[in-house]
Amino acid sequence: MLRILKAGLQTSIQDGGRSGWMQYGIAKGGAADPVAMQLANSLLGNPPHHPCLEITLTGPDIEFGCDLSIAICGAQFDLTLNGQSIDNDQGIAVKKGDHLAFGPLQSGARAYLALSAETVLPAAFGSLSTHIQTEFGGYCGRALRAGDEIRLRNCRREPPRQLSNDYQLRYSARPQIRVIDGAEAEMFADTARELFYRTTYSVSAQSNRMGIRLAGNGLDTAGLPQMTSSGLCPGSVQIPPDGSPIISFVEGQTIGGYPRLAHVISADQHLLGQLKPHDRIDFFRVDLDTAIRILRDKTAELSRLIE
Amino acid sequence: MIPPFTLRQNGDAALDICFDATPGESLSRVVISLKNTLERAVQRGDWPELRELIPAYQCLTVCYDPLAAQEPVNVSLQQRIREFVAETIVSTSFPDAADQSQGSQIVVIPVCYDAPYAPDMSAVCAHTGLSQSRVIELHCQPDYLVHMLGFTPGFLYLGGLARELQCPRKAKPELRVAAGSVGIGGAQTGIYPQSTPGGWQIIGRTPLSLFAPYREYPFIARPLDRIRFVSITSQEFEAMKQSAANTSNPVKETT
Repeated sequence: MLRILKAGLQTSIQDGGRSGWMQYGIAKGGAADPVAMQLANSLLGNPPHHPCLEITLTGPDIEFGCDLSIAICGAQFDLTLNGQSIDNDQGIAVKKGDHLAFGPLQSGARAYLALSAETVLPAAFGSLSTHIQTEFGGYCGRALRAGDEIRLRNCRREPPRQLSNDYQLRYSARPQIRVIDGAEAEMFADTARELFYRTTYSVSAQSNRMGIRLAGNGLDTAGLPQMTSSGLCPGSVQIPPDGSPIISFVEGQTIGGYPRLAHVISADQHLLGQLKPHDRIDFFRVDLDTAIRILRDKTAELSRLIE
Repeated sequence: MIPPFTLRQNGDAALDICFDATPGESLSRVVISLKNTLERAVQRGDWPELRELIPAYQCLTVCYDPLAAQEPVNVSLQQRIREFVAETIVSTSFPDAADQSQGSQIVVIPVCYDAPYAPDMSAVCAHTGLSQSRVIELHCQPDYLVHMLGFTPGFLYLGGLARELQCPRKAKPELRVAAGSVGIGGAQTGIYPQSTPGGWQIIGRTPLSLFAPYREYPFIARPLDRIRFVSITSQEFEAMKQSAANTSNPVKETT
């Protein structure tokens, strides 16, 4: 068992998400930073998409009700176990009654707490992920609150393992995000496209798992034709009438009607999960072949790490 | 008639099959038929790289794993999809493809149009110049076609709203519209499955759940089904809301 003593801003159960339900309006969901989640699981010998706790901006306090091992990857918090400082990126043995506390956030936005145990929760659409916006899945369809108790099964201890220094994740508060042309890129005036690539946008506080809203130079959408709504994929950079880009994210709507100027390449989408309000981002345009090559390289590197 | 189509990249992990025809019932039949045919092919294992199919008014979005798609195939995914669509369109006589035999249903959705559930009824009456009873009558008249599901879980895109009922969206969307709210936005009508922000004019509310994740079929309708709204009293609304049975068994008739 795992008891939430203090909830944090948004602590939820996340795994690899759900597949095949977008035609019913259900986004894939799952970890906002699946790379960090997979690394955390790998340190405990878990399958890559084993359910974890996704911890956002302000972390929780947790008490463990059994002996097991844990690993934390992703955002860097000041972590303590029973008051003693501990680090990200390594397997740590915990005993029944131990108290894990997430202190101030140092970098990134979301940390993943992996457990060498199974969380006893009902699956919805083949996944334990909490769909925060629509309130289903995970633990009662919502972020965790103080007093919640998550039942665990098959708790076990794992030999301590550590990620090599080269692969410990550090996040910039000003990342460069690579994009390819969006489905409607050619509808935009050249001046609007140039302005988009020249602008350093800042992440709005209204961002969430559904979409990342950006503030900066508004783009002119006046001459754009009205569109008929169609399938919208995560990573799409939509430009609504007010001209401020919105990046569709892991719980994004599945049908959209705003023109898409750009699309965050699949290989960089995990970086979106580490953006926090007021972080700044620059977009860098690549072509489709480059996007696929980067994805192949990153995927191969991750597989080497987690095998 | 077979509408011409083009393929369009939708990010680095999806292709849109876009038909050059006006949205409407016959085009939706083409898109849904194609989706069903492709879905069956995926289930047979023919397209291991495909992940999601999202039908919409004019496009079928095909999401794929770009790395799986690069595997030994010596024809590109684009080309294979192009051939598949062309073959499917030639071998089936759209628009009356297999889907009709699948039996689309009329899903009856009870709606209470009374004041507490219809905060914008007076605005709609004022805009359209119609009485409340005429608004209800017109809204309950058509069997609306479900073009697709999407946006949020279980949201239905419906076609067939009477022209007299069309009225503009609110200038400033409400922060919270109750789940089950039935609204009009421009030329569309629909129901909010979840309590979300919303900019449509709300003229009623249904006691049914449009999305119940743990129900056997978690949604209330499928594409190409038809929706018929039926006016109920607030007493009936409360009674249905309280009866657990109504959420799992909406009234359905087979056409």
